Amino acid sequence: MNSALMPSVWRFVILVALQLLLLLQISQSAGTYFNILIYPLFIFFLPLRLATPYAILLGFACGMAVDFGYSSPGVHASAAVFSAFARSFLFGFFEPKGGFSGKENVFSPAYFGWAIFLQVLAAFLMLHLFWYFSVAEFTYVYFSTILLKTLAAWVLTMIFAVFYTLLFNPKR
Amino acid sequence: MIKLLQVLLRNGGLLTFVVVEIICFFIVVQFNERQGAIFSYSTGLWGGNLLQQRRKVADYFSLQEQVDSLAAENARLQEILANRRMMQVPYRDTFYTILYDSISHIDSIRRRATRPEFHFIAAKVVGNTVNNTNNWLILNKGSDDGVKADFGVVSAQGVGGIVRHVTPNFSMVMSPLHPESRISAKVKKYGAFGSLVWEGGDPERMTLKFIPRHFNISVGDTILTSGLSSIFPNDHPVGTVIGAGEVDPENPYFWRLLIKPSQDMTTISHVYIVDNLFKTEIDSLILKTPGNE
Repeated sequence: MNSALMPSVWRFVILVALQLLLLLQISQSAGTYFNILIYPLFIFFLPLRLATPYAILLGFACGMAVDFGYSSPGVHASAAVFSAFARSFLFGFFEPKGGFSGKENVFSPAYFGWAIFLQVLAAFLMLHLFWYFSVAEFTYVYFSTILLKTLAAWVLTMIFAVFYTLLFNPKR
Repeated sequence: MIKLLQVLLRNGGLLTFVVVEIICFFIVVQFNERQGAIFSYSTGLWGGNLLQQRRKVADYFSLQEQVDSLAAENARLQEILANRRMMQVPYRDTFYTILYDSISHIDSIRRRATRPEFHFIAAKVVGNTVNNTNNWLILNKGSDDGVKADFGVVSAQGVGGIVRHVTPNFSMVMSPLHPESRISAKVKKYGAFGSLVWEGGDPERMTLKFIPRHFNISVGDTILTSGLSSIFPNDHPVGTVIGAGEVDPENPYFWRLLIKPSQDMTTISHVYIVDNLFKTEIDSLILKTPGNE
């Protein structure tokens, strides 16, 4: 278990650091619609066999860590908890015929190919970002703002996430 | 805490999701200024709305109670008004004439200078006729409420008749639309008084008799109670003149005026029974006078 989780621990450290040290600064100087949230990849790349409750608790921890940097307690955590919960449904939906073989450790292009990976990642990030901006605005008076921010952030984050995946090509 | 975690992990994703999401929500509204403000504003709106709805329902069920208390309050105010109109300041007394205005705020002195003449009892019409030759009202207050025969009945708009019979809980009121009804009324403009009668037929037409011919009455003149009968308080609305004055054929020194009563007897519902506190005294005085026995 420990050795299986080690890559995730590293991803946690790298992604949160990346989020707070680089992307936070970028979005602060680039404007309200320029948001890249890369830390959800930590939740996305958690081991496939990890039970959903654990994924949710880990997502909560990750979200809170990011929240301390953003000084918005609970907002990122709420979105992370939601995407950790939604993750199992997304993976179930895109499960290959005959089920997972058991060899796949994480949902990455190395096991499933880029086509399926991109589809699942796109849906995953869309859900996460929509939830995040909903909680951040906290009122549906600004529903159009929420949608615009979600779309803008989704495009930017997708590009960044693909670069990250190409760079590290996670297998465990 | 450990036990809670165990329960969450055993019961799968949904429960964990809901519980952790609630914790997140709590943290969000507790530690974020913006979200906290929106949350408290929304709950305030929602709570206020809820309270308002609850109040509406409660109001509906206490409607009868409120109507009763308003009627009682109206009776109290009508009583004050009628007594105020009867207020007697002893003008002969120079001391009072000068000082009355400056001392009138002191209640005990005002009570001495003025004496209440009327007591009002709020009542509701529970029976009414307008299309017979002899018309009667039935009110839901009777001798148990202090009602006696010969008490006047008024509504906020006009006069409602004279009590004739009482039972413990109800009273029978002779409507102004009764051939035997005689109500002492005056023309507001001159103070000239006459007798208001109903000559049958249209409940919207009454006749004011015995206004002397030398008064120049015009259509639209206001008719009030005269206060001379010891049944009704003075200056209570009665009606307006609707027809040009014609000479009374039976008595050519007087006008016979067509009056539209200000209280429509077909819709009368909330009334006040008027108790003149000095009626017995006045009646005994009349009886003492030779020729009036």
